[in-house]
Amino acid sequence: MRYIFKFPDIGEGLDEGTIAEWYVVKGQQVSSGDALVKMETDKVVTDIPSPKTGVIAAVYGKIGETIKVGDPLVEIEMEGIAGAAAVAEVQKVLVEEVVEEGAGVVGTLEVAGNNAYMPASEEGVDADAAHVSKPVKKALATPVARAMAKEMGVDINLVTGSGPAGRVMTADIKKYFESSKRMEDQAKQIPQLAEDRISYKPLSQLRKTIAKNMINSKHSAAHMTMHEEVEISELIRVREKYKTILAAEGIKLSFLPFILKAVALSLKKFPSLNSEIDMENNRMVYKNYFNIGIAVDTEDGLLVPVIYDADKLSIKQLAEKVTEIADKARDRKLSMNDMKDGTFTITNYGSIGGIFATPVINYPQAGILGIGRLIEKPIFRGEEVVKGRFFPLSLSVDHRIVDGGEVTRFVNTLTAYLNDPVSMIIE
Amino acid sequence: MINIQKYILPDLDIMDSTEAVSACVWQPDRTYLVLGQSNKAETSLDMVAVLADQITVMKRPSGGETVILTPNTIVIAVSFATETLKNPRAYFHTINESIMAVLAQHGVKNLLQKGISDIAIGEKKILGSSIYRKPKRVLYHAVLNMAEDISIIAKYIRHPAKEPDYRQGRSHAEFVTSLMAEGYEIHIEHLMAEIRERFAPENNGAMAVLLNG
Repeated sequence: MRYIFKFPDIGEGLDEGTIAEWYVVKGQQVSSGDALVKMETDKVVTDIPSPKTGVIAAVYGKIGETIKVGDPLVEIEMEGIAGAAAVAEVQKVLVEEVVEEGAGVVGTLEVAGNNAYMPASEEGVDADAAHVSKPVKKALATPVARAMAKEMGVDINLVTGSGPAGRVMTADIKKYFESSKRMEDQAKQIPQLAEDRISYKPLSQLRKTIAKNMINSKHSAAHMTMHEEVEISELIRVREKYKTILAAEGIKLSFLPFILKAVALSLKKFPSLNSEIDMENNRMVYKNYFNIGIAVDTEDGLLVPVIYDADKLSIKQLAEKVTEIADKARDRKLSMNDMKDGTFTITNYGSIGGIFATPVINYPQAGILGIGRLIEKPIFRGEEVVKGRFFPLSLSVDHRIVDGGEVTRFVNTLTAYLNDPVSMIIE
Repeated sequence: MINIQKYILPDLDIMDSTEAVSACVWQPDRTYLVLGQSNKAETSLDMVAVLADQITVMKRPSGGETVILTPNTIVIAVSFATETLKNPRAYFHTINESIMAVLAQHGVKNLLQKGISDIAIGEKKILGSSIYRKPKRVLYHAVLNMAEDISIIAKYIRHPAKEPDYRQGRSHAEFVTSLMAEGYEIHIEHLMAEIRERFAPENNGAMAVLLNG
């Protein structure tokens, strides 16, 4: 009997490895446990032992070649094992099958056993069986359901069971059959796209990094977004007054320095928003510094330069920093040093448009504040209806770190500062 | 042409130990460049600088990228018997945690496990490690930068082909640091003794449970 041994998952979460050294050649006798090959992944070199005793019938891959988990490594001819014994031998490795009587069900239920990941596990497949089918996991089902699946040409092992303990029912078979048929019909209806209707452009390194970071954030953090509006008539008045004064010094005073100051002061009062969670070590990491990143839309893509120790800078100094990083971004002079060690991020998409958003956290930070475009609407001031000017705020946080109450208190503090900007100076 | 020597440094000996856990903590006597199992000298090293300074180059049996060993670094190796083959991340985590505990006793703050197997102070790496796994025994070894000038890394070692996520394209100078550069002047002999103590035979039971449990 011929046994194919496939490259097993060695547990790093990686799906490939490089062949570093072969310990066996074709025709060599091996015993179960003998090292077959030395494989290398990012940080680990491991000798892969043989799961079976026999003669090496084929060796796949050359030294230096990278192979995927599940690719064949060797074929082992297991001497003296044939017929029913061979089937039993494969089953020992392939699926630890347990047979039990299912309560309330007519017939026998088959339950697939769990599989070890290394080394002699489901990676091994009987050579003959490999060309016929891949019975990796057997579905739990009644004989009636099995008969129906056979009749309808459905592979019952692909059907998700809705019965007790995931048992596949006749209704599941029908549903699967109809769904498969519908997908087949839809596929037939998709017209062939002419090549001139699609163009391709290779991903830039920045786009790849953005994509990776965004997905990592969405997969790793428990995103939650809170929306609020802050009335900023007083902020507009103060800004107008000092904009002219600072312009004489060549400093452009936008709203952003005020927002930066308000965020830095609020973060000092709510340290959890300026922290990260270290799940590996079961602890929180609180940052006693306040480095605030500003998401900048550039022609190349999104960049997040950081204003370091924002809490220690005056609004005038923050205005200078904002101008500096904006100039660097425009001139493509931002370096890695300008963009590292951020502890919180602000994204001011309102300068382009938009009111509310659900910003993606700059992982592993705890939060990101989105600022929408300035909007005007009537408000009551005493008994009078006057014009109100608002900034829409969208704060996304990692809900693993911050609870809703804390987020609300943070937003209340932030809006209080922006509503009454002089309070930032008094503090 | 660089002559790549077989790895003959002290820590490999403990791979043949019959102890449940065996450790070897040592200080290199001079500068060595150690290639990872699949690294090539011509792509990993600045050949001109290496040849000019006549640096010894070796290839270790474990994975990972090229490292530099100098008298300002210490090498920490731990080997242990294992009947089960756990996810290597668990081994890295357990051993690195022990090393971090020793460093924390010296007041080192903001220690984090980063990437697959690094220890960092904040976002800067101070220790890199790798594993060589045989069916019934695992060898972990690591280099801890006590006080080495980071410029020496850039002098001999090129930017690696693979890097952990948290490196984010940073140069050696931006990515790596030493305990001294971070303001921690720890007596090297004392630290080595304390790390040995962590993995000493009397503590083997607990460590073996951690590694195999």
